[in-house]
Amino acid sequence: MQYSRPIGIALTVAFLFIVFGMPLSQGVLELARGERPHVLELFLHVPTKANLRQFERELDSAAWAIQRSRPWMQFVQFTVLGHAGRDTLYGRNGWFFFRPGVQYLVEPLPAPGQDTDPLAAILAFKAELDARGIVLVVVPAPGKPSIYPEQLTRRALDHTEPMNPHTLTLLTRLRDAGVDVVDLSALFYGSERPGLYLAQDSHWSPEGMDYAAETVARHLFERGLVKPGGTEYSERPAPVERLGDLIRMMQSPPVERLFAPERVDSRQVVEADSGTLYEDDPASEVLVLGDSFLRIYQLDEPGAAGFTAHLARRLGRPVASVINDGGASTLVRQELARNPELLANKRVVVWEFVERDIRFGTEGWQIVPLPPAS
Amino acid sequence: MRSGMWRLVCGMVVFACALASVSCGRGTQTGEDEHVTTLGTVEVTAELVEIRGELIDRPMYDYAHVMKYKVLTVHRGGDVGDVIYVGHYNPLKPRNAVADARVPEVGGTVQSFRVGDVHRIALEFPIDECFMGGIINKYHEENVSPVYWAVWTNRARRP
Amino acid sequence: MVFTSHIFVFYFLPLVILAYYAVPWKRNLLLLFASYVFYGWWDPRFVVLMFLATLANYICGGIIARSRPGSGRRRAALVAAITISLGMLGFFKYFVFLQHNLNALVVWFGGTPFPVLQVILPIGISFFIFQSLSYSIDVYRGESPPVRSFADFACFVALFPQLIAGPIVRYNTIAGQLVEREHSLDKFACGTALFILGFAKKILLANAMGAVADPVFGAESRTCLDAWFGLCAYAFQIYFDFSGYSDMAIGLGRMFGFEFLRNFDSPYLADSITDFWRRWHISLSTFLRDYLYIPLGGNRKGPRRTYANLTIVMLLGGLWHGASWVFVIWGAYHGFLLAFERWRGKESLYARLPRQVRVAITFVLVLFSWVLFRSPTLAEAGAYFQSLFALTRADGGSVLLAGELYTRGNMALMALCALVAFQRVQAFDWVQRMSWPRLLLVLALFVFSLLTMFVQACNPFLYFQF
Repeated sequence: MQYSRPIGIALTVAFLFIVFGMPLSQGVLELARGERPHVLELFLHVPTKANLRQFERELDSAAWAIQRSRPWMQFVQFTVLGHAGRDTLYGRNGWFFFRPGVQYLVEPLPAPGQDTDPLAAILAFKAELDARGIVLVVVPAPGKPSIYPEQLTRRALDHTEPMNPHTLTLLTRLRDAGVDVVDLSALFYGSERPGLYLAQDSHWSPEGMDYAAETVARHLFERGLVKPGGTEYSERPAPVERLGDLIRMMQSPPVERLFAPERVDSRQVVEADSGTLYEDDPASEVLVLGDSFLRIYQLDEPGAAGFTAHLARRLGRPVASVINDGGASTLVRQELARNPELLANKRVVVWEFVERDIRFGTEGWQIVPLPPAS
Repeated sequence: MRSGMWRLVCGMVVFACALASVSCGRGTQTGEDEHVTTLGTVEVTAELVEIRGELIDRPMYDYAHVMKYKVLTVHRGGDVGDVIYVGHYNPLKPRNAVADARVPEVGGTVQSFRVGDVHRIALEFPIDECFMGGIINKYHEENVSPVYWAVWTNRARRP
Repeated sequence: MVFTSHIFVFYFLPLVILAYYAVPWKRNLLLLFASYVFYGWWDPRFVVLMFLATLANYICGGIIARSRPGSGRRRAALVAAITISLGMLGFFKYFVFLQHNLNALVVWFGGTPFPVLQVILPIGISFFIFQSLSYSIDVYRGESPPVRSFADFACFVALFPQLIAGPIVRYNTIAGQLVEREHSLDKFACGTALFILGFAKKILLANAMGAVADPVFGAESRTCLDAWFGLCAYAFQIYFDFSGYSDMAIGLGRMFGFEFLRNFDSPYLADSITDFWRRWHISLSTFLRDYLYIPLGGNRKGPRRTYANLTIVMLLGGLWHGASWVFVIWGAYHGFLLAFERWRGKESLYARLPRQVRVAITFVLVLFSWVLFRSPTLAEAGAYFQSLFALTRADGGSVLLAGELYTRGNMALMALCALVAFQRVQAFDWVQRMSWPRLLLVLALFVFSLLTMFVQACNPFLYFQF
């Protein structure tokens, strides 16, 4: 070892300054705020494996150095390396993709187990609805990478086969089992209509959403499940500017400042007579279950401009809905089971879920028994 | 001499930590404040006895996780039973930082949820009427009812 | 606890340094306490197991030391130490594997499989069992004196810098240091620099390469190009991950006055498989040589026995890495190549080609072995080999893999990894001399690595599973 004394001292002091400085400054900051230093939490709980993991996680999230530096490091990683964080992939032409959505398409599906088999859960739900005289219509919403793969990689430009064989396999199995299915992916993938998805967001655009609503409404009419209603709705332009969820997932304001909010030409649905904004009717014959693909434009800004509103416009009658963000695989049915009165008077249940939930659905695909019909 | 200095420094650090621990622990005895006593329709002091399943750590995913409590004292709202099930919004966040544009009214002094802790909670029910989003309810199959929605959750000591 | 974590760098390490240098007596006891906290951080119950392994070898080592050479009592104590240590390792590491294979046989003969008893694998068990066992064997052979106190021995077994993923420290190389070791500013500073470089290797290179390799190995199918890209990424990941850990371990050891032996010596510059094993995980190679290959007869019993010994050692070396057939085949593959080179007089088949070509061929041979090492099952390894030789095509969504892989960041980091991995001078050598520019570079790397750590999800070291 050849270290001059000044170099040895400088290296040691600098190292110790960093490793001691961080926790000491954190402690001082917390005391100055009148809080108990977070590190003391360690001594307030039994040191079990779970408590230690939780302590460590909380120590991270409480650390000022991490909170201050993280957005800027994310900014550096994005601008220098093109890395868009844990959950986001940066594609071509300013397009972003949700990583689990891509993972769903790239990776093999694990063998279905208890509570993770979509086919079993859907068939069980259908049986419950059949018993009540209600028809189930399943509508998997295609993920953005299935429809616009060329915006993620140039390699997909020459590729003509569908990107989502797992979804197509499930749809085939559902059809074989007698489930009424609307396949939006085939429709979207071959569509001439431009811009069915937002570049910065994981969801469909108003055009894509309306195309889906139009397709589902046509399907319901063609199958004779619903007759055109007597309510006349009209549309009212309601453009909004929104920063997509995929950019916000990076949790980095400096990155967010790099992008102008995306202009979204959504259209609110209003009653033609009164001009009042569309509202669900819990007593409707049609119940729509779904996830954030239903939430967007409907519960988010501008409101009354989402899938349910436009489905109602196409059907000429209001619908009822249960929207459970990120929870269309199981949670939405649990919510329905807690509120079975929503099924009273229903003829059709339209069940939307994003295709990646076939693998990644929150709480898997549990069989959720409904309370007996009264 | 040098080692004596070090020992002195170490002792002072430990003493300062202990002092800070004690001083910051004050005021959390009952968990009472103007929020917990006024918000919601039910108010209890209860011990968190079970957090079933893993809390989801996913940015941009807002959800509630239902936890099991043993009721120690009912302050408002009548007889709620010995055990209640309470949904906490985004439970990985400290309560003083959990409110957002979607759910603006929640809060409290609890920093994190740990089994064995005692909370004073202002509650509303049923949860479905308070929160339209993912509700992770691992007790669903047990048909627990009602599931409460935690409006304000303060740290407290066992009464 | 993981070295590359907030809790370790900012709380555990400073506290241990403070306590260690503030209290000049009972330092081994302090390190022992710190090491048990470090190990128990994963699961406090594991500490009991480590304590029992330590106690068993301490008692057996004591009996061996007090017995006459060649006596039955001495042999019995050694057998007991080996049985207890390998029994623990066998139960915790191989019992589930054994049950699965028995079940497969039962099914083969038309029976009904029995329920498999699940056993949790304590982290780093292979390392601490080997280390504690080395004591009993060294004392038996008369290569080491018996330890003077239980605390010293327990400290040696649990020593947190190298506890979880090596380098494997043998008792006879550290016995003297447990009694007396040198502490100096030079040594501390050098340890600091090595720790920082290992830290940077893990955070900046290994984790980045893991983010490339994982989707490729996890894909349903992949193109030939993707397969090679992912495999190279994995080769760099495992090297920087493991050598980074070793650098940190050696660096931390120096901070506390210990001197551990080098564990890596530019392994990807090897020009034959024999050369590779002189450079890769040196502490394991020498451990297996001294405690297995030589007792089996080494090369003293004729060529055939030598080849068999080499193959047996590598097979067991493979099994040491994990209870799975992929590791067994991985070991057999290396064993076969080593035996083949030994048959040719320690020369590879391509020994007469230019050095750069020899290095390239050796690298490719090692890459093939990494396919086995990384794949969870033989079937998946087979599918990966098919991708490498373009025998399959990328179907369905696998086309999208390209969007994850070929980003400018990944390309740049891959080039950087290649540049560093194929250098003759590695971190271990580089820190021997320090100048002001080097000092600034080291500190800048530390700060940048810490900031990068803050945005990374927890990413434990690959070798923790062994």
